[in-house]
Amino acid sequence: MGSQSVTVAESRAGVYARLSHFVRRHRNWVGFVFVLPWFISFLWFDALPFILNLYFSFTDFSIGAKPPTWVGLANYREMLAGDRLVWLSLQNTAYYVGFSVPLAILLGFSLALLLNLDLPGRTAFRTIYYLPSIVPVVASSVIWLILLRTQNGLINQILSFVGIAPIRWLTRPEWTKPALIIMSLWGFGSQMVIYLAGLQGIPDELHEAAQIDGAGSLGRLRHITIPLMTPVIFFNLIMGIIGAFQVFTAAFVMTGEGPLKSTLFFMLHLYDNAFSYYRMGYASALALFFFVIILGFTLLVNWTSDRWVYYGND
Amino acid sequence: MEQKAMPNRRQFLALSAKVAAMTMLSACGAPKPTEESPATAAPQSEATAVPASTPAPASGEKITVSFMNWWGAERAPLMDACIASFEESHPNIHVVNDNQPWDNREERAATAIASRTPPQVIMTRREETYKFATQDLIIPIDDYVKARNVDLSIFYPSDLNNQRWGGHLWSYPLPGDGGVTSMYLYNKEMLRQAGFDPEKPPKTWQEAETVAKAITKVEDAGIKVIGLDVGATKGAVNEFPGWLYTNNGNYYSEDAKQVLFNSPEGVEALEWMVNFTNQINGGVDKVRDFFAGTENAVTDLPFYLDTQAMWPQGTWVFGHLKNGDPEMYNDKEKWGVALRPYNGNNPKATHRGVSGNYWAWGYVIPKGLPKEVQDAAYEWIEWWITGKDPKGKDGCYFLFEQSQVSAVKECTADKAWYEINPYWDVVVKALQTDVSVPITPVQSQIAAFVDGAIEEAYYGTKTPKEALDSAAEQAQPLLDKFWSGA
Repeated sequence: MGSQSVTVAESRAGVYARLSHFVRRHRNWVGFVFVLPWFISFLWFDALPFILNLYFSFTDFSIGAKPPTWVGLANYREMLAGDRLVWLSLQNTAYYVGFSVPLAILLGFSLALLLNLDLPGRTAFRTIYYLPSIVPVVASSVIWLILLRTQNGLINQILSFVGIAPIRWLTRPEWTKPALIIMSLWGFGSQMVIYLAGLQGIPDELHEAAQIDGAGSLGRLRHITIPLMTPVIFFNLIMGIIGAFQVFTAAFVMTGEGPLKSTLFFMLHLYDNAFSYYRMGYASALALFFFVIILGFTLLVNWTSDRWVYYGND
Repeated sequence: MEQKAMPNRRQFLALSAKVAAMTMLSACGAPKPTEESPATAAPQSEATAVPASTPAPASGEKITVSFMNWWGAERAPLMDACIASFEESHPNIHVVNDNQPWDNREERAATAIASRTPPQVIMTRREETYKFATQDLIIPIDDYVKARNVDLSIFYPSDLNNQRWGGHLWSYPLPGDGGVTSMYLYNKEMLRQAGFDPEKPPKTWQEAETVAKAITKVEDAGIKVIGLDVGATKGAVNEFPGWLYTNNGNYYSEDAKQVLFNSPEGVEALEWMVNFTNQINGGVDKVRDFFAGTENAVTDLPFYLDTQAMWPQGTWVFGHLKNGDPEMYNDKEKWGVALRPYNGNNPKATHRGVSGNYWAWGYVIPKGLPKEVQDAAYEWIEWWITGKDPKGKDGCYFLFEQSQVSAVKECTADKAWYEINPYWDVVVKALQTDVSVPITPVQSQIAAFVDGAIEEAYYGTKTPKEALDSAAEQAQPLLDKFWSGA
């Protein structure tokens, strides 16, 4: 019995040793195998469509059986010189990005500061403020359609209490974009939780030390909280810019192109060309052009980050 | 030594690329040719290739036809009844009611038809049918019509014409697209209270103005009661063409090669729409505010709430009224139907409706289906739409039950219609005034230019003439490019 036990134990030890040796010998492969599913899906769902998009942007291509026809730079020429809606939609999009992104950061950060205080019921408030961000955009758009009605809309009812005449949010060209921006702020909860996580990562000692040195609340906010939160603000800024540039669903559901095409955002224009007109080649050129714009803005913000984002080891 | 056996990043990337490439190639590969494949089957142009009826497969298995449509969940029981009736007389075919949600409809239709496994029948708008035909994605049904000796005179000509493109017939029409712009509902009680004879509703633009002026109540806060909206609400797909045609104008030349919507008749029609809206309804903002939230409403529509006197709508409206306000629907003394007013100042103008400008639904069969499946798909379409089976619950039944008009004359002439709708004679007259607009596969783009022009005219950024001329300047090159095949 004793010798048999020794043999089994030796045998097991041998297997472990061989397995261990195998893993050691092929440790790169094991890692790569774990990465492989993601990598293949990246190639299939991102890289390939991107390459195809690049190719289609130089072709006249529809959804049909006919092969794409190479047209060189014709789509880009039309986009930059012939399609007046490109510039109008870019202006509308820039307006939306220019207002919605800073406002969302301001609102999200301010609320996070408040909800980071040790107040009774703060968990409930965090949940309440976060909830709208998980409501599907289509559902929230329908709700906002009702809220923003000129007659009997809740927003106008509230404004009437302070003597403001009813605003034609969705029927006047000058008010449609502000209406969509206000609606977008409703979903600030997703940014807010990221700020909250960031705020809770700031060491209390820093605040205590500043307090001992005589810093007030505003001083601590300005010299401790905000500098230490800049990486989080930077992250939300980048994500906010990318998301805001791609504004689509709210406008699609609520206003369409809007009065005088005041809510014709770039993504709507792209969608029209792809799925209403079936101009896939031209839509691909629009998509690539838009990708370059968003990439440009992202790189620009990234470039400025050296000057204002503090990572603690600077 | 061991290190040599380990893969590096380059090897990994190369392997991943190979795996991905193999996956892609296997997915993109051509379908295996089968005996039934159209590539090997007899050409469609040979009438003998089309059977008089679908033979049962030798194996005795049923052929499944997936029918992608947008008729909505509320009509699913009706559709299922039709399918059951069809399957009773065609035991070798099983039709699946692939009822799709309305959201992103265009996107769904496009991706379905372009996929390698499309449904066997897809419900399409007229322009979509034309686009798919131009892209060589669907089959024409001429050979079936010829082989099976289908009598096409059973359809209203304008409705049938909406399914023709490039000299071929691509589908049969269902429902009828007639009556989309050629009639309106009116509230008899409101006319009576305003001092007008409810049995003599407005026939001309000028009479409509008089009645609307007397009924419309506009305050600073907005409209309280509206006589008539002439198309100020968003998406005036039907309104401008409706008024254009009742002013003896045309959207295009007969060969669809020339835009004509900016003709003097078109400019006059848009000027009238803008002036009417500004002078009687208090401007475009107030009209849009008044109708806000009613686009998809079932019950709370101003017409049902007695706050709208005249309501230009298509024949589909009877079903809507029946569901939305059954009480009003049943009280035929409360509402009436009349033909859309024409411009009384234009001696050439008359009641004239527009058919096929936007909807004009058809049912197309994708290319590349196995022959017996294609035959079965056609069998279903023909049986359902032409309504040849007197005992069957076909398209006539389907439309009658929801108070929608059929493109089949015999269905529309059915006595039962007159029993449930005392204004059916007006509806039939409306259908008879309809003209099929000659559109092309670039209609959506052109309609977008016209929509833009209407917006500019309503908001006063351009005069109606400037706006329509500008739209024509953009539309004509597009049309020229399309016809040149560039």
